[in-house]
Amino acid sequence: MKKLDIPQGTLDLMILTILAREPMHGYGISQRLAVLSHDQFHVNPGSLFPSLYRLEQDGKLKAEWRPTENNRRAKYYRLTAAGRRQLEHHRERWDRVSFAVSSVLEGA
Amino acid sequence: MTLVHRFASIVRWLVHRNRAEQDLNDELQAFVDMAAADKVRDGAPPADARRLAVLHLGGVEQTKECVRAARHGAWLDDVGRDVRYAFRTCARNPGFSTVVVMTLALGIGANTAIFSLVNAFMLRSLPVRQPEQLVEMLWKYPGDPRLNNYGWKDYEHFRDQNHVFSDLIAMSVGRFQVTNTTVEPEVVDGVYVAGNFFEVLGLRPAIGRLIGPQEDKVGSASAAVAVISWSYWQNRFNLDPALLGKLLVVNDVPTTIIGVTPREFFGLQLGMDPPIWLPVTMEPLIQKPSHLADGSLRVALVARLKPGVTIEQAQAEMRVLDRSRLAGLEARSHDVQWRHVAIDVEPAGAGLSILRERFASSLLLMMAAVVVLLLLACINVASMLLARGAARRREMAVRVALGAGRFRIARQVLTESLLLSTAGGVCGVSLAYFGAHALVKIIASGRSPIHMPQPLQIPVHLDVHVLLFAAGAAVITGLLFGLVPAWHAFVSAPSSSLREIGGAAAETRGWRRFGHGLVVVQVALSVILLSAAALFVRHLTDLRTVGLGFQTNSVLQVSLDWSRSGYTPAQFGPLSRQVMDRMASIAGVRSVTLAGMTPISGAAGSQFITVPGFTENPDDRRRVSLNIVAPRYFETLGTPFIAGRDFSLEDEGRPRVAIVNQAMARYYFGRSNPLGRQFTIEGQTRPLEIVGVVGDAKYQDLHETPPRTIYVNAFQGSGGTSLIFVLRTDVPPMSVVADVRRAVRDVLPNVPVSKVTTLAEQVDASILPERLIAMLSGLFGVLAAILVAIGLYGLLAYTVTRRINEIGIRIAIGATSRDVIRMVLTSALGLVIAGLIIGMPAALWAKGYAASVLAIVAATQAEAPIMLPVDTIVPIVIAAIAILVVAFIASYVPARRATKVDAMVALRCE
Repeated sequence: MKKLDIPQGTLDLMILTILAREPMHGYGISQRLAVLSHDQFHVNPGSLFPSLYRLEQDGKLKAEWRPTENNRRAKYYRLTAAGRRQLEHHRERWDRVSFAVSSVLEGA
Repeated sequence: MTLVHRFASIVRWLVHRNRAEQDLNDELQAFVDMAAADKVRDGAPPADARRLAVLHLGGVEQTKECVRAARHGAWLDDVGRDVRYAFRTCARNPGFSTVVVMTLALGIGANTAIFSLVNAFMLRSLPVRQPEQLVEMLWKYPGDPRLNNYGWKDYEHFRDQNHVFSDLIAMSVGRFQVTNTTVEPEVVDGVYVAGNFFEVLGLRPAIGRLIGPQEDKVGSASAAVAVISWSYWQNRFNLDPALLGKLLVVNDVPTTIIGVTPREFFGLQLGMDPPIWLPVTMEPLIQKPSHLADGSLRVALVARLKPGVTIEQAQAEMRVLDRSRLAGLEARSHDVQWRHVAIDVEPAGAGLSILRERFASSLLLMMAAVVVLLLLACINVASMLLARGAARRREMAVRVALGAGRFRIARQVLTESLLLSTAGGVCGVSLAYFGAHALVKIIASGRSPIHMPQPLQIPVHLDVHVLLFAAGAAVITGLLFGLVPAWHAFVSAPSSSLREIGGAAAETRGWRRFGHGLVVVQVALSVILLSAAALFVRHLTDLRTVGLGFQTNSVLQVSLDWSRSGYTPAQFGPLSRQVMDRMASIAGVRSVTLAGMTPISGAAGSQFITVPGFTENPDDRRRVSLNIVAPRYFETLGTPFIAGRDFSLEDEGRPRVAIVNQAMARYYFGRSNPLGRQFTIEGQTRPLEIVGVVGDAKYQDLHETPPRTIYVNAFQGSGGTSLIFVLRTDVPPMSVVADVRRAVRDVLPNVPVSKVTTLAEQVDASILPERLIAMLSGLFGVLAAILVAIGLYGLLAYTVTRRINEIGIRIAIGATSRDVIRMVLTSALGLVIAGLIIGMPAALWAKGYAASVLAIVAATQAEAPIMLPVDTIVPIVIAAIAILVVAFIASYVPARRATKVDAMVALRCE
């Protein structure tokens, strides 16, 4: 089956959600995303990294270089306080949208 | 995220750019390593794993580019790259870039120069508190300029009785001799002001204090004080703060310098920067007899409106308050014309209006002309860029092939245009700096309005407003001419492919038409500018020559200063006769005479007269111009005799005689013979008998129709006034000046010559606005013609290059060089004629429109308005012919080159 495109505007939400659990590097985020979406979503690094950089520049994420479990060095991103607020805000909006959309679909 | 935050992150990115790039590189490498490790674990051969991992990433460089584009401030990078690239492009074609930049510099520079004058004359607010509340009071006697001139007692009356002004201030301009221990005696302009003056304007002193209410009580010489201007402080005292408390002797009265006015304050009247300010209470100390004491001191009035009071309300009240003054004037002069006089209240936030009114219409006209010139320059540059755009197709095609989007390419082209216009703007501002100063010099050379210094002091600076204007002009210009090639790049980018770049076929018909259309518009605009130039030059020539009634060339005027000679007025006449005789014997002098006034000096005497047997409606009663002249006046000035005789020296002691002009004779005597008729000048008892009639001549001003004029004999009891010697010469008039001075010195050793001018100079000084317009519009017309020539030349040169195959074939099958030249010239002529067809009616319309705008301006104006001879199309025809000639010359060169095409070479390059 062909993989799904990530719906517009939800990539940031998913990145923030993944990073809310623990700090993670770019490759890890893309793998986690594939796993969590049951392999339906495949994020293109050409979209992932720009999003990460923008979120970092906006102060939602903080990055630092750390060794990985395999003893490589990787850039780990973690949520800042502002990032957490952003996540809550996005999450609430998303819940309302998805509730509204499914209500419409079921009612029709 | 706040703006500050965002800005900070942009700055951080710019500062740490290299580290960030390294960081990004490492991060993506780590990504690839981890992905490759996973692939190996999933069973991919290690040799392929890395390649697969890079594929997964979608390319390292591509991903980097995506990240860079997403960062804040990414556009700054792009702009920087665009600008650098634009610099390189412009530097690669220095010739082309220079022509473009110079064209724009001329356009923007001309606009900035004229705007800096408009700014100085009309826009700039006085550096005072709430200048928008300030108004001035003007009145106008029919036929005379508007005046802001009242007696001191009128000021007191208005000040105490009005309910519309929060304050009323008065100032009286005078000339004073000043000196002290460091300043050589010199005569300067100064202003008397009342104690409320600086307070009402809200001015703070540069140092010391300004004249205040306590000075209203100055009565004794010991308390005399003076305030000086900042520039005087700088020029005479070297900005030395120790001058406070020093003495300055003003007309023999020692005063104490108490302060300096602020640096940016030049007084309320544009054109003068008075060095000293004195309390009006000092006038009785300085001036004997005092005019303040009897309330006759002449003052200009400026008021601050009460909040909420409109100008109309203030004007209505002032007109009521002014009634007693006008009634008094009418009663004293028996002149019912005073009934037509009413005060106008006008905004004075930009200063008093005299100069503004004199130059407003000229400046607005010139502003319109330079805007058209700039538009022409824009179109010219646009067409040049368009032609070059066609030449750059290969470059564009390469960039498209490398993946540049159409927006990117269009933006690059627009960046180049803005770079060119910015360079043009910078050069233009420097041109404007010199241009504006040259213009100010010319304006200052004109005749100053009454009570104003000669030459005028006009502070024209390239201040913030002017620089903003120039910057705005540059940006708008860049967008205007840049949009065309940018749009061209935008629409043609997707189709640009390296394959189809072969030359001629690549250019679409539509764009070629558009390029031709630009030339047509250039021709049309230049017709407007050239016809305006022809119109104004002709107007000036008419003013100088038509209906003058005298001849301006070869006339010298010499004034003497009798004031310290010790002679009594009764002696002036006989002594003047001796001087005249000496002057007449100078080689090269044809005739010598005397006159109370010479023509077009800006002043004229006038009186009411009574003619026995002639009655008129009191409302039609007008003064008659009056001049005092010696024998041979009419011969000297070249005014023709119609009937009767000239004055003679034998008239002295006989019954009084007069010579009148035709307008006077016609009005009072109709068709009957005026010779031998008598009239009486008001205020005199002895009648004068008319002995001669002369042609009509303009008197006070070139714009007027010759007034009814009477001349009386200088040697018949009207002695006592200092008359001007007038000489007609057979040689250039200035060449006899040394002899003339010697003649005066021989007869009158202690009477200095105070002024020597030619009549031509005097006339020219009086029509400065017209001369300025003629000169500038001429200059702009020539520039317009040059721009059209460049535009046409460029287009044809390009066309010839583009059609080189076709021309080669034509020559190969037998076309002669004459045929080829005709072919190129015909296509040029078609464009020019199309331009003329649009431009000539447009010029006609523009002329009518300009005339109507001037008429509106003139309706509110004091000075003689600029009247355009709108009924003629001659200037437009002249302009059209000029354009045709210029176009022919510009087209001939490329046409000639076309004949040099070698058929074999042309065909081979296909």
